[in-house]
Amino acid sequence: MHRLYNSVEPRVMDEDMLKLAVGEQGPKEEAGQLARQEGILFKDVLSLRLDFQNILRIDSLWQFENLRKLQLDNNIIEKIEGLEHLVHLVWLDLSFNNIEAIEGLDTLVNLEDLSLFNNRISKIDSLDALVKLQVLSLGNNQIGNMMNIIYLRRFKDLRTLSLSGNPIAELEDYKMFVCAHLPDLVYLDFHRIDDHMKELAESKHQYSMDELKHRENLIQAQLDDERAQQEELEKHKAAFVEHLNSPFLFDSMYAEDVEGNKLASLPGVSELLQAYKDKFVTICLNIFEYGLKQQEKWKLELDTFNECVQEAIQENQEQGKRRIAKFEEKHLLSLNAIRDESDLINIEVKILEYSEDITELFNVLMTLEMQLVEQLEETINMFERNIIDLVALFIENVQSLMAQCRDLENHHHEKLLEISINTLEKILKGELDEDLPDDLRALFVDKDTIVNAVGASHDIHLLKIDNREDELVTKTNSWCAHLVDTIHKNEMMRNRGRVKEISQYIDHMQNELDSLECSDVID
Amino acid sequence: MTLAVLRGGLSLDSQRRARMEVLKEKVEEEEEAEREEAAERGKKMMRPVEMRREEPPMTQEMLRDLEKKLSEIEIVIPEQPSIITKDTIDISKLPLSYQSNTLKEEHLLEVADNFARQYSHLCPDRVPLFLHPLNECGVPKFVSTTIRPTLMPYPELYNWDSCAQFVSDFLSMVPLPDPLQPPSHLYSSTTVLKHQKGNCFDFSTLLCSMLIGAGYDAYCVNGYGSQDLCHMDLTRDVCPLTMKRKEVVQEEEKVPPKKYTIKPPRDLNSRFEQEQEMKKQEELQGEEERRRKEEEQRLLEVEKAKTDPLHGLRVHSWVLVLSGKREVPESFYIDPFTARSYSTQDDHFLGIESLWNHKNYWVNMQDCWNGCKDLVFDLGDPVRWEYLLLGTDKAPLSVAEEEDDAMNDDDNDDVENLGKEDEDKSFDMPSSWVEQIEISPEAFETRCPNGKKVIQYKRAKLEKWAPYLNSNGLVCRLTTYEDLECTMTLEIKEWFQNREDTLQLRHINKSTGLNIDYFKPGHPQALRVHAYKSMQPEMDRVMEFYETARVDGLIKREETPKTMTEYYRGRSDFLSYRHVDFGDRVKKLALNSAESNPRPMVKITERFSRNPEKPADEDVAERVFLIPEERTQLRYHCRDDHITASRREFLRRTEVDSKGNKIIMTPDMCINFEVEPVEHTKKLLYQYEAMMKLKNEEKLSRHQAWESELEVLEILKLREEEEGAHTLTISIYDTKRNEKSKEYREAMEHVMHEEHLRQVEAQLDYLAPFLAPFPPGEKLTHWQAVQVRDECLSDFKQRLIDKANLIQARFEKETQELQKQQQWYQENQVTLTAEDKAWYLSYYSQAVFRMRILEQRLNRHRELAPLKYLALEEKLHKDPRLVEFLEVFV
Repeated sequence: MHRLYNSVEPRVMDEDMLKLAVGEQGPKEEAGQLARQEGILFKDVLSLRLDFQNILRIDSLWQFENLRKLQLDNNIIEKIEGLEHLVHLVWLDLSFNNIEAIEGLDTLVNLEDLSLFNNRISKIDSLDALVKLQVLSLGNNQIGNMMNIIYLRRFKDLRTLSLSGNPIAELEDYKMFVCAHLPDLVYLDFHRIDDHMKELAESKHQYSMDELKHRENLIQAQLDDERAQQEELEKHKAAFVEHLNSPFLFDSMYAEDVEGNKLASLPGVSELLQAYKDKFVTICLNIFEYGLKQQEKWKLELDTFNECVQEAIQENQEQGKRRIAKFEEKHLLSLNAIRDESDLINIEVKILEYSEDITELFNVLMTLEMQLVEQLEETINMFERNIIDLVALFIENVQSLMAQCRDLENHHHEKLLEISINTLEKILKGELDEDLPDDLRALFVDKDTIVNAVGASHDIHLLKIDNREDELVTKTNSWCAHLVDTIHKNEMMRNRGRVKEISQYIDHMQNELDSLECSDVID
Repeated sequence: MTLAVLRGGLSLDSQRRARMEVLKEKVEEEEEAEREEAAERGKKMMRPVEMRREEPPMTQEMLRDLEKKLSEIEIVIPEQPSIITKDTIDISKLPLSYQSNTLKEEHLLEVADNFARQYSHLCPDRVPLFLHPLNECGVPKFVSTTIRPTLMPYPELYNWDSCAQFVSDFLSMVPLPDPLQPPSHLYSSTTVLKHQKGNCFDFSTLLCSMLIGAGYDAYCVNGYGSQDLCHMDLTRDVCPLTMKRKEVVQEEEKVPPKKYTIKPPRDLNSRFEQEQEMKKQEELQGEEERRRKEEEQRLLEVEKAKTDPLHGLRVHSWVLVLSGKREVPESFYIDPFTARSYSTQDDHFLGIESLWNHKNYWVNMQDCWNGCKDLVFDLGDPVRWEYLLLGTDKAPLSVAEEEDDAMNDDDNDDVENLGKEDEDKSFDMPSSWVEQIEISPEAFETRCPNGKKVIQYKRAKLEKWAPYLNSNGLVCRLTTYEDLECTMTLEIKEWFQNREDTLQLRHINKSTGLNIDYFKPGHPQALRVHAYKSMQPEMDRVMEFYETARVDGLIKREETPKTMTEYYRGRSDFLSYRHVDFGDRVKKLALNSAESNPRPMVKITERFSRNPEKPADEDVAERVFLIPEERTQLRYHCRDDHITASRREFLRRTEVDSKGNKIIMTPDMCINFEVEPVEHTKKLLYQYEAMMKLKNEEKLSRHQAWESELEVLEILKLREEEEGAHTLTISIYDTKRNEKSKEYREAMEHVMHEEHLRQVEAQLDYLAPFLAPFPPGEKLTHWQAVQVRDECLSDFKQRLIDKANLIQARFEKETQELQKQQQWYQENQVTLTAEDKAWYLSYYSQAVFRMRILEQRLNRHRELAPLKYLALEEKLHKDPRLVEFLEVFV
């Protein structure tokens, strides 16, 4: 079946070959004449046929960035490569080659029709990126495992599949299996699947299918869950209060605190710790809720601002459009009048008049734009002030809440210290009833040790709280700065764009007039 | 003199109640006095309102004047007594209740007489009450019993306005025999409906019956109306159809400015100057306003009618609907002639004598010097309204509020309770003597007498016809005139119904010559509106279409002699507008004159709405083909954030360069303006392809425009045909008019009938005569069965033989006859005239034919008889009644 290497000379895909192919397949007749005159750029080519060229290696195709259809059939290609840049490709034909594995198709997200007929493929995979796949031809290959079919279930748009000539197609159950596992398939091996067949297949494979579906649903549900959680977290992050609705911060305080954990097993400490934790978490929750509320407020503020700015811009655009429409109406008339006019003096007068009109239009448009810029600047400044105020208020409030946390920590620290010293005294006096773990008892050597240990724990806690606070404040501030920055930048971009547009338009008008003048002078 | 005195002087109610018994004895005496009084009053002929008007300086001269005027007017009034005279009514066919009074009615009449006497005694200045006029049989009937509350079976007649409209349409108006007095006769509504004519009392009685039946709190009113009202003269009223509906201007709610709304640019105009300008404007407007008012004033004076000398004396009857029931928010009058509603303050109504419904009768005790404006319709107030029957219905309003629920219940049952006696009441109204009011569906549909009615309004004439009366489906025509004399037609509006071409309204403007036809959905060409001045093609015309019924989504097509503009909606190619300019027709060689010679198109402008799938730079917004110049202009849609749109202009030229090669495309053939310059559009190839595409599209557009022209011609042709044919559609549910279904139904009935006959025949029992001697139900013995069978068979055999004999006999008779004729012919052959000869020959051929037929029949009978006999035997054999006996032994 496959051509032998030595029977023909493999050819290299080079510039000449491509040019030749493009020239041959390009436009014909008059258009062809034009095309030859101008030359065709590779990036303008939409469809390319390179069959029966004895190509061994796909190469030099990177310039064809807008290619929609590529035919490389009947070559001796062994590996799919060099197609990464052809992201717009819809149709790819690689049939009658010597390909052994499906690969190198990960960027072709628009591919709808893929033919790998008559190759040496033994496994269907690496097609995940091809979400729009509708037609897949894999006949005359070496696919031997039924499980390859299950892989194809992920292509929701797949309607046509051909697998004849593969080892699996010889199997008795082949058709039923495919029909049952790919219920949306319409054509299999170039035959239409009739409803009767579908029903038969469905009933035959019902159990295994149910199980499969169940598993898929479970996975899907899990994915959905995760996504929802992720979204929630994103939302919290946007309000800079992530994880504050859980004892996450509190737990993190104790995560690296060796001494604290040890001390927790002291008599009386666990109750203390519990009470402390409760209070701490409540404050965290307060911060969390406050943060979300503030976030809403900011969002509302931003929305109102955007809406107003949009309205203003819209209205300004409408005004500009009206002006231009009016001008164009007049412009057509005057152009015709100038064309029809035969008297040179009159032409002069009219041209003068016309160019005055153009200048006036330019002035009007520019005035409009400048006016808008001024108005917007004022509004933006107002918004900036407001949003900075809001953010400052938020930070202040959060800081005061954090201070409460710190107070709690201090309080807890004092209590803990007191208990520790008491315990130490008891130990020293030998009055302690309970047994303490060894590592804890090691702390109760003398007063310094225990005070140090408790102090270290306290320091760690304070550090954690400080860190969280810092993080929150920095993030909020940077968000605010970024926001204001973006708004300014956008406005600037808009202004530049508009000014460019206006001057371009005016230039065009002027040019038209000039060319008219020239032609008149020549006449 | 006036009622005010009367009201102050006595409380009639309390006194009357006390005197009820006493007065009964004095009846005779007072009757005498009463009659005298009435006679006197008759001479005086003065009524309260009239008195008021004429009062101040009542000199002899004026009186004489008045007398003169009155006598003059008396002549003017047509001497037309009630048109339904006695001889047109067949009294004998009327039911008994029409011809006599029941005991209770007699009693009621007595009570009424008594009341009248007291009333005339107490208010000697007032005219006698309208209490019991004679009915068509000459029997006095109390007015309340003439009202027969009826709910009509037509849902259209459930509301007061449609009811009134029906009454005013259905009856034709007859003026009162004496415009200053209530009529002597009041016919039943059934008779009135039958003759379709009546006076105002007949109108209001019928309307009141229907309204009470429909649940309204309605009353018949006997009172005084203006001349226009009494003569059903609408010539000073504006036709309700011409009145323009007031446009409800919904003020847009001002949105509160948002926080970041931009501030408007500073206004640098002088405020002082603006104010000055404003002042000047106001002055001008004031002047304008004044002038307009003066003009109006002048017009009003012209239109104002000359004063009526009988003002305030003309008797009229109308209907009063009180608020409360059927969600009527405010009391109002209905004039039964015109079916118009008036407020109770209206100028047309000048006084009320009395009013009644089916339950009671009230006399107005309020002063009517100011027309009806000050009347209070609190019927429960005995000072204002003197009632005839005690406590039947109306409690004073103040009480009514408290007992609202109880009252309502009572009221709701009014119609049902009509016949019931109520113990609590001293005397209640007897049930109506009038038969059930019935209107046949045909009469209901035909409405107006003969299905036709004309109403004259101020500067307008309204004509109505019953559906299907006019062959072109015309049901209503409103002609408006420029002047008051109705000579200069301004415009005509014609309403149509049931037309096959779904035309429903034609508006003809005489001054501009513009015709506008409005169509209902369902026209074969989906036409909605067609405005034209002439039916000739290529003239000013506007056609609007039901665009959902059209494949091409065309909404409107406007034509002038040189242009055609089409508006589209909802097309897949987003075309929304096409404007075609035509040039002058080129003279053609007479070679193929039969072929149409379309006008050359000079310019085609097409506009497209935005296709959201394309980027704005590639989505054409406007396309102009300048055909003679071979120039094409494209304007693209504007991007969302831009104010300028890309434009492109192609100029197609076929030129040859210096070497003689054809120039395909040069850069100056395409002028580009792009908002965002893109590289690939600069290429000649791209431009060439775009141009080729445009070339094809131009061809297509031209073709479509040409097709549109053809379509206009086709529609015009169709319209002409439709106008010529004006066939009417008949609903499949209309069993009377639908000929086809009628035929079908009759055919079906015929078939059914035949089927029935056949069944009856099939049920005939051929054994019945033979089984008759045996008692029915009992089983036959074997012997009996055999006997029955034999009898049956022998009988049948006899009949067969008889039949054969009959045929034989006829045959022989025919043969004899023929022989006789032959003989006669041969004897007289020589002397026979040609006529006789011809007669003989025809007779001969006929006789031979008859004989041949008889012979054939005989032969066939001979052949069939044994078979029939065998068949009967077989049948008898299998007959369930005989089978068990015969089977065994045969």
